[in-house]
Amino acid sequence: MTGEVIYEVKNVSKRYGSVVALDGASLKLHAGEVLGLVGDNGAGKSTLVKVLSGAHQPNGGKIYLDGVERTWGSPREALEAGVETLYQDSGLAPHLTVSQNVFLGREKTVKGIFGKMGFLARKEMEHDAHEDLERVGIAVPASDRPVSQLSGGQRQAVAIGRAVAWARRVIILDEPTNHLGARQAGEVLQVVRAAKAKGLGVIFISHTLPHVLEVTDRVVVLRLGKIVMDAPTSEFDGDRLIGVLTGTIQTVRVEGD
Amino acid sequence: MTNSNQTTARKPGIPAEQKPVPLALTARISTLASNQSTILIGVMVLLIVVFSVLEPKFFSAPTASNILTDWGSVVLIAVGQTFVVISGGIDLSVGAIIGLSGVVSAWTMANVLKVDQTVSGADASGPLLIGTLVSVGVGLLVGLTNAFLINKLRIVPFIATLSTMGAALGLSVIISSGQPIGSANNFSLIAAMDPKTNPLSWALIVVIVVVTIAGLFLHKARFGLYTYAIGSNTFAARGAGINVERHLTLVYALSGALAGLAGMYVYLRLGAGSPSSGTGRELDAIAAVVIGGASLMGGIGRIWGTVLGALILFTVQSGLIMVGVAPDWKKVVVAILIAAAVAAQTLQSKNGRK
Repeated sequence: MTGEVIYEVKNVSKRYGSVVALDGASLKLHAGEVLGLVGDNGAGKSTLVKVLSGAHQPNGGKIYLDGVERTWGSPREALEAGVETLYQDSGLAPHLTVSQNVFLGREKTVKGIFGKMGFLARKEMEHDAHEDLERVGIAVPASDRPVSQLSGGQRQAVAIGRAVAWARRVIILDEPTNHLGARQAGEVLQVVRAAKAKGLGVIFISHTLPHVLEVTDRVVVLRLGKIVMDAPTSEFDGDRLIGVLTGTIQTVRVEGD
Repeated sequence: MTNSNQTTARKPGIPAEQKPVPLALTARISTLASNQSTILIGVMVLLIVVFSVLEPKFFSAPTASNILTDWGSVVLIAVGQTFVVISGGIDLSVGAIIGLSGVVSAWTMANVLKVDQTVSGADASGPLLIGTLVSVGVGLLVGLTNAFLINKLRIVPFIATLSTMGAALGLSVIISSGQPIGSANNFSLIAAMDPKTNPLSWALIVVIVVVTIAGLFLHKARFGLYTYAIGSNTFAARGAGINVERHLTLVYALSGALAGLAGMYVYLRLGAGSPSSGTGRELDAIAAVVIGGASLMGGIGRIWGTVLGALILFTVQSGLIMVGVAPDWKKVVVAILIAAAVAAQTLQSKNGRK
């Protein structure tokens, strides 16, 4: 169905004091695959996201990118290796413009000595930001506008567009359709498909199960820090997914290993 | 809403219902009217007119020169404060740094460089340069201490800089035994600082150059962008790969170093390093920054606003004295100015949200 395995975690655990947030979780992500990550509140989703994005270091287990074992000291290291993360509700700096947000952390500078001193090529970035967003299917207003002036949907579109435009291997989307109207959520799902078509591995975390069923190829269910099910999306419907999530349906098998 | 035409050259497919980049004329006028610096310039002009009518002597070169000289000492720390406030913090230690750096610098010049009243003219420039470096160095050290307290010990900026303010104040009294350290009264460079003889002194030119460079780095360079990003949304800044702790260290170091430079400026004005020479100045700096339109919540502020804010502050102070208002009223008027500035800002952001 999809390409080779690009991102993999094996048996990762994470404890906060005596609380075990993640208990021996393993998963594989293929190129061009959209992997849904679901679980009830406190199931360990955000912990797993933080481990995958480099924000937290696991207490045990291994992380592989393109078959090579990696440890992330910081989100920056994961970012530079090609793993892009869009955090829930917090991807953008509202006082900065669209293009400043798109290029944040990877600014283009002017040529010569002023560039070395960090002077920015503002016009060039405004132009490129617009093009980058368009390429992933996002139409936003002028890229010199502060993000605080955009609607919630437009902001989310910019945040996702930014992540997709920059991601080289893996993109992690934490609740990307939260607080969005139906039409805006539809646009976001379209961007997810664009990322998939680009050959990226996409991890799609959401509470909105219809969106998960609509856009993912495979679903991983977390419960109480453990992965309780890992199966193709075609094996789920809404009722079954809720059942597995809450534990009313006992899982038959765990795919993967 | 999908992208229509990828190949149209420079400005690809702005959706039709969106407003194009060049704003309509009416929109431009309303933008200009709500523009912070337009308002500030308006206030400034109004103040000059009112004070000049009440007291014709106000409109004169000596008055302007006096205001500018006062402005020089505070604008340096206000510019540092602008970076700090935009990053979402506050630096209360800058006034105390003026006193401490002035004292340490004066002590070094008097006791290490053996500068006394007989040194003058060109002979003074070497020691003064070293004194300036010492002064900036002292400020830098206090700034780095602030950064350490904030980043490593996780103390909120208000408390961290409040403690270094106390420590710096105490140290400057200990070093100077509570007395101004003088010995430099005859320096020709100091004579050149006197606004009565030299409206645009060398020190003031240095201040203006430093403020300009700081403004360029805040508004045109990566350093400023990261400062805004951290103040706007620390989480997003971190997610974008910015080393937030490192950047904040640089911001507080900059604020400290500029306060050290201000310490030298005040030393030159007084002809002595006095432990109390900067007391209360941190509040002037914060006032200038807030009047200039920065938000204490972070993410908002302009150097130009701060420059004008400081200018308004000293125009009011100087004007009130000249029209014969008792000096005690000065603080009340400044307080009203700050409240008005913050209220205007809140109203503006409410309108902007709609």
